[in-house]
Amino acid sequence: MRRSVLGFISALLLVTIATGCAEGRDEPGSEEQAAQDGLVLAVGSEPETGFDPVKGWGRYGSPLFQSTLLKRDDQLKIVNDLATGYKVSGDGLTWTVKLRGDAVFSDGEKLTSDDVKFTFDTAASGGSSIDLTNLESVEAAEGQVKFKLKKPQSTFVYHLITTGIVPEHAYSDGYAEHPVGSGPYTFVQWDKGQQLIVQANPNYYGDKPSFKRLTFLFLQEDAAFAAAKAGSVDVAYIPSTFSSQAVKGMRLEDIKTVDNRGIAFPYVKAGAKTDEGYPIGNDVTADETIRKAINTVIDRQRLVDGILEGYGSPAYTAVDGLPWWNEQSVIEDGDAAAAKQMLADAGWKDTNNDGIVDKGGLEAVFTLLYPSGDMTRQALALAASEMVQAAGIRMNVEGKSWDEIEKLMHSNAVLLGWGSHDPLEMYNLYSSIYGGVDYYNTGFYANESVDKWMDKALDARSEQQSLEFWKKAQWDGQTGLSAKGDAPWAWLVNIDHLYLVNDKLDIGEQRIQPHGHGWPITDNIEDWAWRE
Amino acid sequence: MIRRHMLQAAGMNTGIPRWNGRIRTAISVSGAIALLAVIMLGSRLMGSEGLAVSLEERNMAPSPAHLFGTDWLGRDMLSRTVKGLALSIQVGLLGAACSTLIAAVMGLAAATLGRAADRCISWLIDVSLSVPHLVMLILIAFVCGGGMKGVAIGIMLTHWPSLARVVRAEALQLMSADFVLVSRKLGRSRMWIASRHLAPHIGPQLLVGFLMLFPHAVLHEAAITFLGLGMSPHQPAIGIILSESMRYLSTGMWWLAVFPGAGLLLAVWAFDRIGGHLRRLTDPGSVRL
Repeated sequence: MRRSVLGFISALLLVTIATGCAEGRDEPGSEEQAAQDGLVLAVGSEPETGFDPVKGWGRYGSPLFQSTLLKRDDQLKIVNDLATGYKVSGDGLTWTVKLRGDAVFSDGEKLTSDDVKFTFDTAASGGSSIDLTNLESVEAAEGQVKFKLKKPQSTFVYHLITTGIVPEHAYSDGYAEHPVGSGPYTFVQWDKGQQLIVQANPNYYGDKPSFKRLTFLFLQEDAAFAAAKAGSVDVAYIPSTFSSQAVKGMRLEDIKTVDNRGIAFPYVKAGAKTDEGYPIGNDVTADETIRKAINTVIDRQRLVDGILEGYGSPAYTAVDGLPWWNEQSVIEDGDAAAAKQMLADAGWKDTNNDGIVDKGGLEAVFTLLYPSGDMTRQALALAASEMVQAAGIRMNVEGKSWDEIEKLMHSNAVLLGWGSHDPLEMYNLYSSIYGGVDYYNTGFYANESVDKWMDKALDARSEQQSLEFWKKAQWDGQTGLSAKGDAPWAWLVNIDHLYLVNDKLDIGEQRIQPHGHGWPITDNIEDWAWRE
Repeated sequence: MIRRHMLQAAGMNTGIPRWNGRIRTAISVSGAIALLAVIMLGSRLMGSEGLAVSLEERNMAPSPAHLFGTDWLGRDMLSRTVKGLALSIQVGLLGAACSTLIAAVMGLAAATLGRAADRCISWLIDVSLSVPHLVMLILIAFVCGGGMKGVAIGIMLTHWPSLARVVRAEALQLMSADFVLVSRKLGRSRMWIASRHLAPHIGPQLLVGFLMLFPHAVLHEAAITFLGLGMSPHQPAIGIILSESMRYLSTGMWWLAVFPGAGLLLAVWAFDRIGGHLRRLTDPGSVRL
């Protein structure tokens, strides 16, 4: 019954669109067929900046309207999309990408190398969220594009994977609200704050998705859950607190992620100030033993079971499970005795019997900040501070707004979250040159050998080659950025993304999802289908 | 029969033991004060064990071990409720008391300091009333850097205008009363008149105003903490607890909202009760009843 009502509305909508936009186009068949063709999803938050890849749309998850030069398959291997292949010169400075000839934008215009050049030039010039400072120039030739870099950068390939190509002829200020692209879907309508409607792109060169029309509703988590209960959506994202309730006609999909949460410690002693005048450093967390003891005493599995209802996994680095993850970075945790021993060996003892260890008059007390709007981070912060007490360390938990956190995050521990399909993120988090830049390396971590390994990884000529160096940066047997090495972070958990999915809907094999609950689920939209 | 009804209507003894108004007032006032004292003392004596996270005891319904149940992090809801109420009452009392003081000073000043002062103060009242409380509160709390201090100062500085207007009207009326006119002719200073003649008369108004401000102050404290400008969301304040419980109502955890909500209601009602009775005892019109 619900389906046919929905179908009727959808059919009406399609008729309006069909007659409105393209006269003479065939009307949809029966209502039943229309219902089979459409999906209603409540999976993500609304992108504030619209749907312009140059301004960051598609960073997390597929850009939907646009297509990219390369893409990842379900095993996270890099495969061709708009490109038919790419080559890196021996010095690593020139990347030549060959384009397929049959790609057209949804308005019928052919996608050429000029459009690729235009996209990257625009992204490099206009204060976008894409860091293309290393890009010297882009040259467009017949059927191929040459990217010239200032210095070799193996992670440049991720720009080719994540940057959707925009059309030069149809790009203007309003593009973000009316995107035109060569992706699997074309834009129909965006009611800000409410919904986004897209329909299948008839000109798409790739495997055509089996759903003609998608409606994305922008709902809060509890509203999405209510909508799923009412049967008005086919896919809904939910927080783990709602996971224990079964919803009729829906099943729970539990998707693994690198959407991680962890505690970033100030790595240096107090004293310095940033250019804005915010204090840097903390004497307690600058002590390696303290950071390692915290890493050791925290029971990550208990956090997963207790806070995420089991829908998550312990996190040991920022890149767990990704091709560049070093499995040796996993440590034994949840061991209070070992943590105590570690502290005692380093001279941290409870001399004044207040339950908190001290050393040279310095008590092992510091503040842990969390963004006050985020329930999961609040829970993790409280539970972690409870756990570290067993080792004689006190973390005073404080919830703040992001504005306040920005002022305090270099001198206090902060509960942050990351997770990307691009190892460049690891570089940004741990490289000494990113100390104090945005929310990256908030603690001013710096280790020469880690920097060296990561520079080598950037300098590599292929992704394959770079992987080994990324792994060495985490732990090379002597030192590293993981908890085994300098432990500048205490990573806590990877949060699984939970979706309620219509029982009859097959959403294919989902890959490990990055940070950002929602949009990434549509990465493999071509594989989605109704089950017979 | 008719006689008995008349007697009853007149509040006289008809065989059923009844206390007179004064005693009933005393009993209910002391009951209400006792309730508030229990909340304040209880939160002092309780310690912070109940606020500790214990992941093994999450989302438990009320039981002998946890009379009010536990929340999503295994914190004891009884401890949180009592501590939250105590905190909210403190902020509410402080905010309402300071607002009342400001209102009294403003109202008396407007009435006694002449026309220019009256215009200035009336203008200030109108301006303050034209901006919604919450917006002013957010601004002030933000300037003060958030936290408990920001909320308290914000509430103090935003809740006085309507009461100040009442006080001003009352005081202006008194200014034209014979005994005040005589007093002025006798050369008494404005300060003297304001403190000896006017202040005692506006006492009941202030009391009622104070008690009307209190629930406002508590609710606004809750609202501003909900918006993230007040205290950290893990600290026990009744507003935070209530807004948090909203998320869990759809999952059937009724005890998260019911007990703290009832607690707030009871505390506000107790205050109302005290205020109502005190007014009857101090107001010349009803004091003989």
